Amino acid sequence: MRYRLLFVLLIASYVVCIVPFASYMKRRPVAVKLGYVPSAEVLRIVVGDQKLLVAHAAIVKVLVYFGTLLDKHPDSKLVLPAEYLNMYKTLQTSVKLDPYNNDAYYFAQAAFTWEVGRAQEVNLMLDYGMKYRTWDYMLPFYAGFNAAYFLKLYEPAASYMKKAAEISGNPLLTNLAARYFFESDKSELGIKFLEMMEKSTKDEQVRKLYHVRRTALVAISTIQGAVNRFKEQNGRLPERLDEIVEQNILKQLPVDPYGGRFYLDNSGSVKTTSKFAFGEHK
Amino acid sequence: MKNFRVILQATLKSFIRDRLLQLLLVCALCIFLIVPALSLFSMRQVQELSVTLSLSAISIILLTLTVILGSSSVWRDLDRRYLASILGLPVSRTSYILGKFTGIVIFILLGCLLLGLVATAVIALVSAQYPSDVPLSWPQIWIAILSDGLKYVLVAAVAMLFSSLSTSFYFPFIATLVIYFCGSASQEVYEYITSDYGKTLSAVTRSAINSIYYCIPNFAAFDFKVHAVYALTLQLPGLLFAGTYFILYTSIILMIAVWAFNRRELA
Amino acid sequence: MSALSITGLSKTYRDKKLQKVNALVGLDLAVAHGEVFGFLGPNGAGKSTTIKSIMGLLKPTAGTIQVFGVTAKDPESRRRIGYLPENPSFFDFMTAREYLKFVGSTYGMELSAIRNESVRVLELLDLTQAADRPIRGYSKGMVQRLGLAQALVHDPDMYILDEPMSGLDPIGRALVKDIIRDLKQRGKTIFFSTHITADVEAVCDRVGVIAKGVLESVDTVDNILEKGVVGYAIRFCRAEGAEEEQLVSREELDATLRQLLESSAVIKTVEPKRKDMESFFLSVVLRS
Repeated sequence: MRYRLLFVLLIASYVVCIVPFASYMKRRPVAVKLGYVPSAEVLRIVVGDQKLLVAHAAIVKVLVYFGTLLDKHPDSKLVLPAEYLNMYKTLQTSVKLDPYNNDAYYFAQAAFTWEVGRAQEVNLMLDYGMKYRTWDYMLPFYAGFNAAYFLKLYEPAASYMKKAAEISGNPLLTNLAARYFFESDKSELGIKFLEMMEKSTKDEQVRKLYHVRRTALVAISTIQGAVNRFKEQNGRLPERLDEIVEQNILKQLPVDPYGGRFYLDNSGSVKTTSKFAFGEHK
Repeated sequence: MKNFRVILQATLKSFIRDRLLQLLLVCALCIFLIVPALSLFSMRQVQELSVTLSLSAISIILLTLTVILGSSSVWRDLDRRYLASILGLPVSRTSYILGKFTGIVIFILLGCLLLGLVATAVIALVSAQYPSDVPLSWPQIWIAILSDGLKYVLVAAVAMLFSSLSTSFYFPFIATLVIYFCGSASQEVYEYITSDYGKTLSAVTRSAINSIYYCIPNFAAFDFKVHAVYALTLQLPGLLFAGTYFILYTSIILMIAVWAFNRRELA
Repeated sequence: MSALSITGLSKTYRDKKLQKVNALVGLDLAVAHGEVFGFLGPNGAGKSTTIKSIMGLLKPTAGTIQVFGVTAKDPESRRRIGYLPENPSFFDFMTAREYLKFVGSTYGMELSAIRNESVRVLELLDLTQAADRPIRGYSKGMVQRLGLAQALVHDPDMYILDEPMSGLDPIGRALVKDIIRDLKQRGKTIFFSTHITADVEAVCDRVGVIAKGVLESVDTVDNILEKGVVGYAIRFCRAEGAEEEQLVSREELDATLRQLLESSAVIKTVEPKRKDMESFFLSVVLRS
């Protein structure tokens, strides 16, 4: 009888404790959740013939925690950057274990270019991947875009795109490759790229990310267009962006989905205080 | 419970005289010899890597120890017909199970302590040769080691439960390993399905995974490895939760094990 | 109060096809203080099931078992029992002396008492030479003798011995019979199972025969032997001197003797001719 009472008591305490426990576990810092993945050289020795599994597990880990980061801040106002380095390193380890795993390249392209501004590192990873995934036009396509859009290196961009076009035989890519020989309208280029990525993405989280970016770019592009019209009409740049609205060129200023504020820099280009990154501004 | 101590002593004696365990201990010490060499594979993080490798080595050795001891103890007594002799004495089945379990616990914790000391020596050696910008924090490292020990005590309780239900060695052995791996992954799976990714799953699947998450042990609670590697500040609630969780879960499992074993036919 | 009392003991198993198997059916038995009770039955009759139920290793489907008035469900009931399991096996990483210490401790004996008693029982069972070697290296007979030693070490009031003679050589068997007789003289209660009728005849007061899970017969050994008498052989000398032998039935005995005496013959011996324990056992088992 006492035994049963004790048992019931224990079960009851367990039930009482488990809920706050579970929610505590969920709230643990991302650094703790992401853990520490030893370098690829060591893992290669230790994990034996399970390299592919470990590589993929590392990617899934990064993906899931990236997802939870976005989740907690559905309004996309969030302090992210701290863990990017760790995530990037984890992916790097992963591709060293399994250079064929597409998810790693794909995710690196999605997560480390726009907000973090690590296009150069991502391109290094993509170069590495191209040596293995020789049939895959996506890698040179990403690399070409990064080179042109972020790094403003048009010559390598064109050769990446040419490579992508050759592999895929897709006329759109050929077209893009041609355009990289000129410095064309950056925003429009970005919007095209993002549109394409958004359509080809199955992962809901990543699609959301692309969507946010595209909205931001469309906003900038819209404002830039309006600014140009303002200049034609008035022969000068607006002092404040609000003037565009006052002159009825735009009904209202679009909102920056990253939570920043748009402004006009000295050269007349539209910028945002968020720099297309979550958090850092205010 | 009168003869709990007698059973405990006999259990410890059996472990000390077990050739397999002696061999395992020697292997364990050998593993630590290669940690300094492996640590050099990391260019910038030699110290961090030595901590990780030491903690992982302890974890793997303790897992082996726990699963072997936990799933073989009752089985061996049954298989070699010791059990009829022991339970023909005025030894209650409760004292038998708890005595066995306590013996295993003492062995795991002693092993944990011993390996922890070896790991401390190895880490100190490596970090003295290749200083890192991350400070070396011994409290964190020892908490990581000891909480790992507690985790394996919990695994041993699970193994004991399966042992007291089964006549074979393989069932408790495999079932314990399965629970161990599920329990280690459950937190990540849980977070996955409660995130946006989970919305694609059916409601039935999600609630099934949810209830499994609440029922099987959650070993992520005992994982302080990152804190140890990067000398992060430990949070008191985390430690308290881990401690409370450990006590509750282990007691419940043991009570079920005792209950089940008391109802068993020992033909 | 009996030393051991069993009432309505039944045990039903389910076999691998989930068919019910009745291992024991309504067994009633009482063993008195100071009695040596032989539990006789063929293999698979339910002897071990009964003993394991007494020792609490099996849970009876129905019925109660009391040892000196304490239910067998309570581990404390085993405090006054010395138990020798069938084909026993003991922690083989210990030495015999260590094992006796382990056993003695479970009965709450003082260390000094354990030490003294161990020396006594090891000597009694001729294990002194091997006492400090690990049990791992023992022969079957040595383990069996150690089994008796560990049942004797705390000098209990009742002994439950499951096939105590099995695995022993003739010298060992004689030794065990001697020990049982000695225990009986000291007023101990002994309940042992066997399938060897000669053992029962040699040492038992009473015998129960079990077959197919049913206790077929319980009687004293003397009674059984007496009932088994089928006739007598009379040796006598007539006046002429030559010795003669005549076989007569029970009924004819009185008349024949009177006749002989009247004819002034000298009667040398009158020997009962009887069925022995073995044929009694066979007849009971075959009847069942």
